Amino acid sequence: MHALLFSALIIFIALALFTIAASTLYLNTYAWWDPKTQERTFYGGVLAEEQYSFSLIMPCRHEHEMVMRATLGALLDQSHRQVEIIISVGHDDPDTVAVAQRLAAEHPDRVRVSVDDNVPKNKPRQLNTALAMCRNDIVGVFDAESIAAPELLRNIDSCFVGRNADVVQGAVQLINFKDTWYSLRNCMEYFTWFRSRLHAHASRGFIPLGGNTVFIKRHLLNEVGGWDPGCLAEDCDLGVRLSTLGREIVVAYSPHLVTREETPDSIRNLVRQRTRWSLGFMQVLAKGDWKQLPTRRRRALAWWTLMQQHFMAFAGVVIPIAIIAAVWGDFPLAVTLFAFLPLIPTVATMALDVCMLHEFGRDHHFEVSAYDYVRLVVSTPFYQMVLAFAAVRALVKFRLGDFRWEKTSHSGAHLDYVQQAGKLAQA
Amino acid sequence: MNAVIAPEEALPARRSQTSPRGSRNVPQQWGGLLRNRTSEWHDRVALAVLGTAAAVLSVWNLNTAPAYRDDEGTYTAQVFSVYEGTLAPYTYGYEDPPLGWMQLGALAWLPNVLGLGDGTYIGATRYAIAPFFVATALLVYLVARRLGVRVPFAALAVAFFVLSPLSLVFGRQVYLDNVGMPWLLLGFWMALSPRTALWHHIGAGVFFAVAVLSNETLVLFGPALVVALLNRPAWANRVFSVVGFVVVGGIAIIFYPLMALLRGELLTGPGHVSLQDALVYQFVTRSGSGSLWEAGSDRAELVNGWLYYDQFFIAAGLTAGLLCLLQRGTVWIPVAVASFVAPVAIGAGYLPPMFIIGVLPFLALAIGVGFDTLWSWWKAYTPTLGTKERAWTNGYAVACAVLGVVVVSSLQWFGPGRAQLTQEANAEWATALAWVQDNVPEDDTILVPYVMWQDLSSHGREDPWTVVPTEKADLDPEFLSEHPEGAAAIDWVVVGPNTDETIESLGLTIAGQALDNSETVQTIGSWSVHRVQRE
Repeated sequence: MHALLFSALIIFIALALFTIAASTLYLNTYAWWDPKTQERTFYGGVLAEEQYSFSLIMPCRHEHEMVMRATLGALLDQSHRQVEIIISVGHDDPDTVAVAQRLAAEHPDRVRVSVDDNVPKNKPRQLNTALAMCRNDIVGVFDAESIAAPELLRNIDSCFVGRNADVVQGAVQLINFKDTWYSLRNCMEYFTWFRSRLHAHASRGFIPLGGNTVFIKRHLLNEVGGWDPGCLAEDCDLGVRLSTLGREIVVAYSPHLVTREETPDSIRNLVRQRTRWSLGFMQVLAKGDWKQLPTRRRRALAWWTLMQQHFMAFAGVVIPIAIIAAVWGDFPLAVTLFAFLPLIPTVATMALDVCMLHEFGRDHHFEVSAYDYVRLVVSTPFYQMVLAFAAVRALVKFRLGDFRWEKTSHSGAHLDYVQQAGKLAQA
Repeated sequence: MNAVIAPEEALPARRSQTSPRGSRNVPQQWGGLLRNRTSEWHDRVALAVLGTAAAVLSVWNLNTAPAYRDDEGTYTAQVFSVYEGTLAPYTYGYEDPPLGWMQLGALAWLPNVLGLGDGTYIGATRYAIAPFFVATALLVYLVARRLGVRVPFAALAVAFFVLSPLSLVFGRQVYLDNVGMPWLLLGFWMALSPRTALWHHIGAGVFFAVAVLSNETLVLFGPALVVALLNRPAWANRVFSVVGFVVVGGIAIIFYPLMALLRGELLTGPGHVSLQDALVYQFVTRSGSGSLWEAGSDRAELVNGWLYYDQFFIAAGLTAGLLCLLQRGTVWIPVAVASFVAPVAIGAGYLPPMFIIGVLPFLALAIGVGFDTLWSWWKAYTPTLGTKERAWTNGYAVACAVLGVVVVSSLQWFGPGRAQLTQEANAEWATALAWVQDNVPEDDTILVPYVMWQDLSSHGREDPWTVVPTEKADLDPEFLSEHPEGAAAIDWVVVGPNTDETIESLGLTIAGQALDNSETVQTIGSWSVHRVQRE
């Protein structure tokens, strides 16, 4: 009787892991499904006239001046003519406030500073304070360390017009892939997320927005009351709420229009960042706005997406147990073979990751070496363990009700890559 | 008014809709068939008619011709051991991957319950082959259409396939090749998808793996499948497609050695069978069939047998295969045919009689493509004619072609084909079976050809060491632990048409000894029952 129960448990776990791995494979490769899907996920082209004006919010906290200056520089260099920039800072961070005011003073006609005095401090509160100062048609958000592509806003403008969009999500790409053992995996994660996964979500009517290079019509943002000040994944939450309203959310990608960023500078920071995201997703799931999505299919997709962090925690705990049970558990042969089933989508995902790394290098003019391909494959299980640890940590924090903000710090590691890639692209 | 002033970026020219043959556009709906979109009415009509014809031919006179063979008996025994939760009635020795008879097991209970197959297990299992035969026929049509072959020629290819006496003989027997074929063709159908979609190519890899896990010799068609996948204008996701195809197909196949590993039977070792031993036996130590070019060798005899049944189909297919070389999109067909011909013509290893099954659909496809190509040429060389003249010439050409095919095929097909559909080839087998069931005491130990094993080893004779297949007494060490006295333990020997040959080719001493010490108690045509004499 016990043997039968254990067999059933092993089969259930194998099925769950298979489904999780298969859905990851499905989402990761969505953009490469067929050539038509790939073409459809690109920007549509630039229209002759600019139609909208932009207010760009740049939330900063404990930042280096060098990093902020580079980010602002890229925003000021936009080919679009109607752009204002609001640097958002907190009143308890005087150094960054001083830098922001100095930068604003250098460009008094286009740059202003929003000082948020809410307590406790977090990103959505800063964003809401800055939103009140915005004057233009469309509000865009750029993180403090995000280097925007010069043609980005022209393309976004055309996207709003051509696709009759309410929201346009552009792509963010981490680029310092050679720095640490985990940074390559981290870069590829962003690559699949913005190149592929978000498009799969958009095509099915439910999308958790990213917090960066995202553009929303200002009146719409005001209508929904801006960002949720208590949510750790305010971007995801906003995406969920706009999805339930049935708003037209467009995701667009082009390698030369991605906003470039750096990976967290240590594993500790990566874990903190992922814990924050996981907690945020758990909050959004618990808030339950997604239950108002119009169709059962969309609600199912929303549940599946918001549960990803739970799945990751589940996989992290269960995979080692499953391996031990499968190899030494002495189960009937069919059960043991079944336990190996998740291996198929998992290995396929890793193999296709290698193809994606090739495409990543080609798109961004990076030289990807054989060592990088090996590193990508070898680091996968360790990287997954880090993510699983962060997810478990988030689950614990969620149960304890600990929603303190753990901010990711920026060192500017991506700036060299931006320069190098620029030179390579010109060459 | 806004106008697009710049395309998004300089993308390389990406062709998303390409014709596999490169000459004519494939109808769009074939890409969408997977999504259940309605296809053209003539395709649906053709599929319905051809499917019905294939279904009727697949069960017509099924249990009386061709004669049951020992291999069919082995697979039938394995099919019914699946219901007992084992892979074979005796120790499973990795002769074939088990997925083939597992699939038959999923189907064979139904004809068995319905009493189809004259109340015999082997007869019922033949009915389980019928769906695979029908699926193979329909997939020949679908693959031909994916190649842009016109409807009449695609239908003609299927007609060649289902009417050939080779199909009527081998295509309706309990062979794993028949189980694997539709999966293999499904792999080709997916690989040739005009959408060049990643999922179709991953699907092609999976179906190829299922085909190989059903019958390992189909792995020979792997190179043709790769050529089919790749040999067309490059598409944007090509690298992804190839990697997805190879990796997913590869991992699925790895489940076979994984199974052996988990059973502790991957590598050779004392006291157990192993996958390694099975492979060494198949490819190295098994006695070969001789060379094709050596008169009277088993291989030459076998090929002569195939030619006896249908040299017309084989010759036409090989010739048409040359025409397939002329177009990029159909080069894979001659590659597939060559993958089959090479081991037959060059090799000297063991050649199983049913090996021909694998190439029949490809010969049929070659014929469909060949006729379609000839028709295109005909149309291209007669463009100056008026409408009326053209209609006459076309009619004349069609009439000549049809007449030629009908005359040659009826000369070749009528005799062997009619034999398969009318002959009574299993009467002696059935009478012998009944005699043994009625006259041999249930507790006596009896050696029988595998072809009779499943039907004898039920109804009170469940112990596999009481009813023993001829070769098991010598080849399975467990026989001696069950019957330490060896040949002396055997009470009866049933001799079928191939028993002497089996004893000789496998060098079976125990069976030979038992037979030598016996006297014939009953003879039914080519069957006889012998009682072993006690000292």
